[in-house]
Amino acid sequence: MNEPRRVVGFVAWSTVLLLGFSIASYGLGFSWTPFDRINLISDVVSTDSTRSVSKDRSTAPGVVTQSTESPERRFDRYRTPARIIHFQTDTLRHALPHFMERLHALHQTKKGKIRIAYFGDSMIEGDLMTQTLRQLLQAEFGGTGVGYVPITSIVSGFRQSVRSEYSRGWTDRSFKENPGNAPLYLSGHAFKSQSDWARFTDRTRGDSSQLIQKYLLCGSDSNASILLSQQETSIAAGGSFNRILLSSDASRVLSIGATANTPTLYGISFESPEGIVLDNFSFRGITGIELAKLSVTWLSAIHQSQPYDLIVFQYGVNLLFRPMDKDFRWYGRAMQPVIERFKQAFPKSDVLVVSTADRAFRYQGKYASAIGIDSLVSVQAKAAFQSGVAFYNQFATMGGTNSIVDWANRNPAWAGKDYVHPNARGAAWLGESLYKALMREYRLYVRSLNKGKKTTPSTP
Amino acid sequence: MNRFDIQAFGEQFLYDPKNPLLFNNGFFVFFFAAFIVLYYWFRNRLTARRYIFCFFSLYFFYKASGSFVGLVILSAIVDYILSNAIYRQGHPLRKKALLLLSVVFNLGLLFYFKYTDFFVELSNTLFQTGFQPLNLLLPVGISFYTFENLSYTIDVYRGQLEPARKFSDYLLFLSFFPKLVMGPIVRAHDFVPQINRPWQLQESDFAHGFYLIFSGLFKKLIISDYLTLNFVDYVFDDPSRYTGLENLLAVYGYAIVIYCDFSGYSDVALGIARWLGFSLPVNFLSPYQSGNITEFWRRWHISLSSWLRDYLYIPLGGNRGSSFAGIFFPVLFFGGLAWSTHSLFGLSLLTSSLLALGLFSLFLIPALIQRNRQTAFTGMNLFTTMLLGGFWHGASFNFLIWGALHGIGLAVHKLWVMGPGGWIQQRQSPSRWYQLFMLVLTFHFVCLGWVFFKAGSLELAGSMLHQITHDFSFSVWPAFFGNYKTVVFLMVLAFLLHAIPDNWMTDRIGRFSRLPLIVYLLIFSGFALLYGVFKSAEPVMPIYLQF
Repeated sequence: MNEPRRVVGFVAWSTVLLLGFSIASYGLGFSWTPFDRINLISDVVSTDSTRSVSKDRSTAPGVVTQSTESPERRFDRYRTPARIIHFQTDTLRHALPHFMERLHALHQTKKGKIRIAYFGDSMIEGDLMTQTLRQLLQAEFGGTGVGYVPITSIVSGFRQSVRSEYSRGWTDRSFKENPGNAPLYLSGHAFKSQSDWARFTDRTRGDSSQLIQKYLLCGSDSNASILLSQQETSIAAGGSFNRILLSSDASRVLSIGATANTPTLYGISFESPEGIVLDNFSFRGITGIELAKLSVTWLSAIHQSQPYDLIVFQYGVNLLFRPMDKDFRWYGRAMQPVIERFKQAFPKSDVLVVSTADRAFRYQGKYASAIGIDSLVSVQAKAAFQSGVAFYNQFATMGGTNSIVDWANRNPAWAGKDYVHPNARGAAWLGESLYKALMREYRLYVRSLNKGKKTTPSTP
Repeated sequence: MNRFDIQAFGEQFLYDPKNPLLFNNGFFVFFFAAFIVLYYWFRNRLTARRYIFCFFSLYFFYKASGSFVGLVILSAIVDYILSNAIYRQGHPLRKKALLLLSVVFNLGLLFYFKYTDFFVELSNTLFQTGFQPLNLLLPVGISFYTFENLSYTIDVYRGQLEPARKFSDYLLFLSFFPKLVMGPIVRAHDFVPQINRPWQLQESDFAHGFYLIFSGLFKKLIISDYLTLNFVDYVFDDPSRYTGLENLLAVYGYAIVIYCDFSGYSDVALGIARWLGFSLPVNFLSPYQSGNITEFWRRWHISLSSWLRDYLYIPLGGNRGSSFAGIFFPVLFFGGLAWSTHSLFGLSLLTSSLLALGLFSLFLIPALIQRNRQTAFTGMNLFTTMLLGGFWHGASFNFLIWGALHGIGLAVHKLWVMGPGGWIQQRQSPSRWYQLFMLVLTFHFVCLGWVFFKAGSLELAGSMLHQITHDFSFSVWPAFFGNYKTVVFLMVLAFLLHAIPDNWMTDRIGRFSRLPLIVYLLIFSGFALLYGVFKSAEPVMPIYLQF
């Protein structure tokens, strides 16, 4: 039997049925999401009733975004991309005054160390973004070395700026698991062992003849010791937080081992005697409010031996884990005390809040920026504004709404297909953008100095 | 208010780079319905029917890749003229020259679009030449129709085929829309004679075509798309963020995805062709049921592997001779391996040379055992075929490594058969456990290959293998399962479906008596709604289990 009719019949009937239902669903106003997704005429019907995701974007209630009042207008500057916003009345004034002053002094005298603590989540994991920022700052103002390195790390295989090898027995107490609430370091970790080893190779670029100081960061123990080149070496660990210089030479390799008397270790630090030190404190999955677990006394103890000139907080993406969340006011209430606490413990330091980067969810089958992202950025800016610290809008710098979709779809890609994480390429660009924004403030500072000199009346 | 948007309606007929035509577009439903009605209407007027088919095929091409449709028409014209010239030419040398012209034209086109940037970057890295990459878009289907063109002119040259008399025959052979994007690679001697046959169909053809189309769509649109978007891409994109278990499961997931993607597309093509009265050769035969790597290549992308056998392996010398290329490429590859492991990965010169030599000796040992030089040449010819076949899949070192891995796998299997494997086979029938073990081993070897096939770069592939070997723990399973329930369910379903013997379904379909049309329509509606459900499903977000 010859059956082409069966094919024609099936195709014709199925088309007619599908088309009929498609038209009927619009005609009768019937809507069921799975069917809407296969509606044959959805591309050629424009409707006013469907609420598009973009229309749904609005900031959370209560967050002031537009007003004619002057403080609100000052606050509204947070929307500016690629700028360090200080919310002061004088927009020509530089942000981060202490940090800029220190940078300038370093530039003039080539003496001294400037320390930056860069806190963040998985966005800066593996030294992404911060390695670029560090490299650019060190190229401009001097210095070499990768700064803080944890003893063990889940991303040690991935991190380019330092190579870490270690034995498997180290216990790692952290924000996620900390029985007995032992003090944790700024990184959110503390390491303990009696017999394990670790070996670090600093891979930052720099003059190979330059001196590199290798510090051990540890807790207290009355007769503390560690293994250095297989030799048990006693160390003076009297304070609650100790920074012990282990060696200072051109070698970029450090091997340590734990003994029965080894105190809690926080990590090690590679730094040059002069110049920029940038510590990367990344902790996957957190929002920054975990830092409230570090007490002011403890932070002050760290400040005593290791004063920071700039503290950066870059969080946010882990708050955006549900596609429909829009109200993040609770986060502002929780994060502001953290900022205040760090200001108290590190009184001289400038603080910079870096907003979340863009992240996308799939809405109606298409990736688009989280609908709550504007609201979150505004909450983060508000926390900075109210604590009187500076703000940097990373979301706007990236290109704002849907930029992560663009980044992930670029060829070569700038972000992962999770539509959350910029990859090495994207992160390098972000690091460079932040560097440029800092340098803009630096130039404003230098200009203000020169202006000051000019206007100073010369003595007759 | 709902309004009919006349402008949007008009734009539906134009190529949209953001939304190229595929089988799952709404537009395809209308396209196919219009085509079928016209095809049926003109079913007995062969010339008109052929032109309609050509028009719809080229239009499909246009909707899928825009102006690149011109490239198909151009290559059809060139190869049509050349093949006829080759056929008529009596002088052997001139005949050869014409063939060479055709090969240069086809491979040149493929090379220009697909491989220029690869070699530009290679040259920039090795010799600091500073050439600008071209950043060309790859024309849809070019890898497939280039091979079809080549097989055609080579067959004509070999005297195995009389060239198509009518240009429209050839154009249709090349542009036949069901197989356009992802194959199968069709041979002219199979296809061209079917073009001008009356449209005859049995009830079983209809049922079988229906089964192929909808099982293919199920594999491609539901299993593969869901797993890709909701799990596999996350991990492959940034393996170091995930634990070893997640990485391993992502590799298994990708093994399903690539199979469902490729074979699903092929099945739809085969099914549509069957409905139109064409029979195309089967392209996939449950490849993961293979008990060794040689068998895998008899079951995986058969139209490609048989093409490579006929037009690459045999010209290289096959199992009867040797050629310059058959020695040059293995030597180049293993030389490159020694160099790169030494200078890029920091192995000592001795270790890297020993590694390369050790792998190369896989081709020499069987020859020593059999005391036959040809055995070594055969192994190298096979390796070259796999290496270049790998490169056909994409212009990167990862594809070369993938091809080389399979080449080495085939050599190892050959050695195994000569030694213990052959001995086991000779002892009555090997036990079930042995068969199962070989199946699992083969599957994992293929998976190892997929890591390189899918990973965006060599570093990412390395990082993935590192996570699997150094950061593996079952303790993350409960959290993993909690987050990825649907993913796990679909993976298990896919493996179960894959385990069904190949002819089981075919036998069942053959036995069905004529089902009323309404049954087919109900199945179709069910599928369409299932597709809608999966398409609108809340996406699974990645979790990071590694704290």
